[in-house]
Amino acid sequence: MKTTPGTAAVQEPKAGGLRGFFDNGKRQRILVIVTFMILPMILLFMFTYLPFFKMIQFSFYDRNYLSEGTFVGLKNYINVFKRDDCFKTLWVSVFYMGGAVVQLALALFFASLMVFKVKGSNLYKACLFFPYLICGIAVGFIFKFFYAHGYVLDNILMALGVAEENIPLWLQNTKINNICLAATSVWRYTGQNMVMFMGAMMSVDNSLYEACALDGANNWQKFRYIILPSIKTIIVLNLILSISGSLCAFEPPYVITNGTMGTGTYFVIMNRIAHENQKVGLACAMAIVLLAIIILCTVGQKLFFKYAFKASDDGSDPKPRLRNERYAAKKAAGKAGA
Amino acid sequence: MKKALSLILALTMVLSLLTACGGKKKEAPEVNLPKIDEIDLGTDYQDITATIKVLTNRTDIIDTVYARYAEEFHQLYPNITVVYEGITDYEESLNLRLPNGDWGDICFIPTTVAKSAMGDYFAVLGDMDTLDQRYQFIPDKSFDGKVYGIANGGNVEGVAYNKAVFEAAGYTSDQDKLDADPSLKPLPATPEAFLQCLQDIKDKTDAIPLYTNFAAKWPMGAWDAYIAVAALGDPDFRNYKIVHTANPFSKRSDGNGPYAVYNILYESVARGLVEKDPMSSDWEGCKGMINRGEIGCMVLGSWAVQQFREAGDRPEDVAYMPFPITVTNSEGTRVTAAGGNYSYAINKMADENQQLASMVYLKWLLEESTIFQDENCIPALKSAPMPDFLDDFAGIELLSNAAAPEGKEDEFDKVNLLSEVGINNDDYPDCTIVEHAILKDKTIDEIMDEWNQKWTSAQEELEMEILF
Repeated sequence: MKTTPGTAAVQEPKAGGLRGFFDNGKRQRILVIVTFMILPMILLFMFTYLPFFKMIQFSFYDRNYLSEGTFVGLKNYINVFKRDDCFKTLWVSVFYMGGAVVQLALALFFASLMVFKVKGSNLYKACLFFPYLICGIAVGFIFKFFYAHGYVLDNILMALGVAEENIPLWLQNTKINNICLAATSVWRYTGQNMVMFMGAMMSVDNSLYEACALDGANNWQKFRYIILPSIKTIIVLNLILSISGSLCAFEPPYVITNGTMGTGTYFVIMNRIAHENQKVGLACAMAIVLLAIIILCTVGQKLFFKYAFKASDDGSDPKPRLRNERYAAKKAAGKAGA
Repeated sequence: MKKALSLILALTMVLSLLTACGGKKKEAPEVNLPKIDEIDLGTDYQDITATIKVLTNRTDIIDTVYARYAEEFHQLYPNITVVYEGITDYEESLNLRLPNGDWGDICFIPTTVAKSAMGDYFAVLGDMDTLDQRYQFIPDKSFDGKVYGIANGGNVEGVAYNKAVFEAAGYTSDQDKLDADPSLKPLPATPEAFLQCLQDIKDKTDAIPLYTNFAAKWPMGAWDAYIAVAALGDPDFRNYKIVHTANPFSKRSDGNGPYAVYNILYESVARGLVEKDPMSSDWEGCKGMINRGEIGCMVLGSWAVQQFREAGDRPEDVAYMPFPITVTNSEGTRVTAAGGNYSYAINKMADENQQLASMVYLKWLLEESTIFQDENCIPALKSAPMPDFLDDFAGIELLSNAAAPEGKEDEFDKVNLLSEVGINNDDYPDCTIVEHAILKDKTIDEIMDEWNQKWTSAQEELEMEILF
């Protein structure tokens, strides 16, 4: 450290030592940028990138938590693709993806209801948002008892007159147990999505509502032609987040069923391989393969939306473009008339 | 100048932050420790002043029972203060904390620490040959003739059952009642008799014959404890022979062995002799249920007996019986399995003073505290009296797993982890037995064949010789 001021003084003897060196406006700007950036950058590097690079490094080793391990090249990656339990679990994620779609639809529905003045909407909002505030493990325990044979759900159904022998074993029946688990994450995240949608809906210019009210639009038309186009970006964002979230589903199957009876998701299997069987290298490779899958899914979705909504998604703000088109059309019509 | 100073200050802080993170592994200090059997409690080492930290997984009793031990010990050694730290996810945390050497003074050795690695973290407590005479379960945590850990007492591997339910179904261990009533049968001692007994409970009582505790997952892993001594009577099987056995999970002609153990689990589920929905079984609730006679039996280590007795009004009904496979030793005496709990070990990275104080406390805890009466388990000292729930074990020899021969101590761990059969460490394979029994999509033979294949390919990859 001692050498830095010295060398600076040597390099810039005429400008009056260190002070002169930093008097230069450009250098000062760099200095300010560096001093403000260095701590956050170091924290970001240490807690985000370093562990990530370490994980990539581990994925090429055969190691457990305590040993240093030996380099095995791509063997871990080959094993990920060779094992039959890794990719089978992606099928389980499909249930959570289905859940994500239902969840977004529900959130959109409730958000649209709340946006048109509803009595006691704050109470409804609070009730719907509340599950998001409970931590995932606690949600798991709530639903463990909710679905348990002879507990909450069974009692409600029996009170409604369903015969006991017609009630399935929610967590044991392999036809429905994944749906039951996905439903818990719908319950948890619907409120959060709803709040995001409402935020977007409220930022829609009020004059648009007034204008279409004057044109005699009903609520459905308001939703279809004003709300939906205005919040499209946030819907797509939520969809992408929910789909990558469903690939990473962990808490419901881990807490409620321990991944038994065909409910093990990719993360549950990865956790078992890393912790119970101490194959840290293999688990790191699985994590990186999953990262690749998530990137593929996200890019795929982006492309899909790009082509599906191509007409209106080109410009960041459709309004000026529409106006321009209208103007051009008018002009063309004027010309034609003349 | 101010700017330059602050820049230098910022950079130094950053650098010191980095050096603090990239710290090297701590070196173990040179220490001169006595052997634990040589310490004279109450007189030796009275001059040591230290505060020692004990890590434990028993978060439920650190402020009550464990605090009482620390206090009692403090009376004997006023200069030594003992502090307990409870850790909820014990194994996981210890895996991360052990390597840096800064975790405390006494801990339970996590199951994931391989025998050959114990010397990297823990101090030597004494020689295996001498300590084996004095304490139970010493071979478990010995390597190369040196002892690194002493078990916190131990347990028998049998079956917890409700006497009243068994009697209602026509089974008892009471010789007088058996003599008086010819319709009564003795407790089942073979897999077939056990399954018949479960069937009788189902037919004659309202109790659930066998409660799996499937939802809690770990009680499934508990079945692994029975495959060696309890199923074969061979103390060398679990740590050594299984590694060198061809297809250890195959059905045997004598009807014993690992296959027989897992078959009991499979058959009892397949025949509907367990709770209706194992997925919603409840560990906390089952304690009261077996106490009240709503459950016939549970296959768990004897440590559970105390909890079952405390959970209701009828502690006298909760009893413990040997696992229903009859195997004998060379003299023809029936044997069954016992094993040590978590083992205490001392941090070798700590200062000499700390290590000495830890060793004194450890010796006091194992030999003079009331810990084993409180937990109702087999005491660490071989000379101490056995707990009363072992009444049904009269005439049965208790054997624990022997250590693998020198130099082969970590073979089992290697094959077990590589094969992912997960004996005693991964509960999921045991869970699949119940799954397939419920779904009826695989027979027990098919499951055991799969395990054999995994085991064999791990044996081949690690070049284990097949000797048995």
